[in-house]
Amino acid sequence: MKWFKQLTIAMLVAVIGFSSVTAVQAASKLSGKIVINGSSALLPLTLQAANEFKKLHPKVKISASAAGSITGPQAVRKGIAQIGAVDWDASKDVPGFKKFEGQVAHKVAVIPFAAVVNKNVTATNLTTKQLQGIFSGKIKNWKEVGGKDADIIVVNRTFGSGTRVNFQDKALQGTDFMTKGDNYKEVKTSGDMKSAIETTPNAIGYMDLAYVTDKMVAVKINDIAPTEANVINGKYKVWGYGYYMTKGEPTGATKEFIKYVQSTKFQNGSLKKLKFIPISAMK
Amino acid sequence: MLDSNPAAGKAPLRAELGRTLLAGSGKKFDRRSRLFAMNRMFRYLCIAAAAFVCLILVLILFLMLRTGVLTFNHISFADFFFSSDWTPENEQYGGLVFIFGTFALTALTLLIAVPLSLMIAIFLSVFVPTWLKNALRPILDLLVGIPSVVYGYLGLTVLIPLIRDVTGTGMGDGLLAAALVLTIMVLPTVSRISDDAISAVPAKFSDASYALGATRFQTVWKVLLPSAKSGIMYAVILGMARAVGETMAVVMVIGNTPQIADSLLKPTSVLTSNIVMQISNVPFDSTWNYALYLMGFLLLLISLLMIVAVRWLQRRGERVS
Repeated sequence: MKWFKQLTIAMLVAVIGFSSVTAVQAASKLSGKIVINGSSALLPLTLQAANEFKKLHPKVKISASAAGSITGPQAVRKGIAQIGAVDWDASKDVPGFKKFEGQVAHKVAVIPFAAVVNKNVTATNLTTKQLQGIFSGKIKNWKEVGGKDADIIVVNRTFGSGTRVNFQDKALQGTDFMTKGDNYKEVKTSGDMKSAIETTPNAIGYMDLAYVTDKMVAVKINDIAPTEANVINGKYKVWGYGYYMTKGEPTGATKEFIKYVQSTKFQNGSLKKLKFIPISAMK
Repeated sequence: MLDSNPAAGKAPLRAELGRTLLAGSGKKFDRRSRLFAMNRMFRYLCIAAAAFVCLILVLILFLMLRTGVLTFNHISFADFFFSSDWTPENEQYGGLVFIFGTFALTALTLLIAVPLSLMIAIFLSVFVPTWLKNALRPILDLLVGIPSVVYGYLGLTVLIPLIRDVTGTGMGDGLLAAALVLTIMVLPTVSRISDDAISAVPAKFSDASYALGATRFQTVWKVLLPSAKSGIMYAVILGMARAVGETMAVVMVIGNTPQIADSLLKPTSVLTSNIVMQISNVPFDSTWNYALYLMGFLLLLISLLMIVAVRWLQRRGERVS
């Protein structure tokens, strides 16, 4: 039996030696730690990218978490995170939020937004003017915009939501939201918005196109349906970029990670699967 | 056969043990001083644990207050407490809507919950045969343990459409929906504790009442309830504390609109729901953030006051009985 033992040991040594050699070959020299914080809308994309990136560079540690958009650039300013994901360009002033000095914005994805209504609403083609009227509280009944005689229930995201910033900017062209009324309520997340629109008759709200289900209707704005094709060909205007904010120009692992997210391979592969639109499509 | 005389073996051992324990022979760190040290150490450990809890409470109060008072660097005291204009995007931080909302919601909840739970408690302690009592009490105890988000979800999917159908309003969110959900949540707590309080009234009280020819209603109303008063107050305040602090269930059904509710069906907002809605979106060092901390401190203060009231009632109850 001696020969058997020797053979086993020899084989084990060979296997271990071989596997360690391949491991060394796969491991890149890039190492470091990346903490990503911020927008929950961008989190699925960030997590997917982090998984793929870790396979290429096993020595890089990435931890990603999400809360509100504003927490991204704030965490970067405090030095807690290397990358802050945010739904607007936080290096510029937007309504309600001051710009973050010294931070650089990197576009990583295109996010289309849609105004949505409950299935019982018949007015599903609205102009920008009508949307402004509805969300500012001046238009109160669906019959004023060609629907049936019923009160309009307006569902809004809380102040601070990135989706709200984008919708106000792109769909309402900067006009103010209503703040009170008998038929007005605010919800915390895109998920809450989804259930509110699905379950409340005569309700109108807005969300990422990716969240729209067949239990609600995405409204045509100025006769243009909110589809990816219409965003890419430039007809549908209600979309925004998702950004990664960094303190100054990024270096090392952070730089490589952002480069990876912006690469054609990731943009046309995983990013599309997650229902975002590649940034290259918008040029 | 192996152990024919166990006592013979043990006796010298016991003597040995006793000697080392009592005499403290020679060695510096013998069993006695070791026990002594262990005893001491355990005592200090317990004291430290107790002190730790107090420290946490003080630190929380201190942190909330310290961050909260920064609000008054930017807005006046009167603005926060007496203005109902809460629009952080325009630098308006009036907290009246939320303070009013919290008190209104708590009052409305108690208005519905207390009579109902008292009836349940009286039913359980007076009218029900023992076997049914033993079956019903665990059911109430189980109800206490249901997570609040479950109640909130049921409120959102069952109660609100119901309110919409019954009242004919468009939304259904508002004080009424929130108060109904809270009622269901505090009902088991209040009725179980009131039940205990009524059951604890000595049997001779009701026996005497019946012997004097009083009816059951008279006995309950004139003898049992007054005797159990402090226990019932204790239950009500516990229910109140839960209603004030409840967040998850309320946020799902109240509508979250910063406006004073002049009707039961108007979407409004309370302290807890406003904090949880906004805290994740707020810039760290802004008046907005400080105002949210101040609201947290107010909530803390309200619940502390209630706990003090509970303790006071408990002590008074002991003195009376």
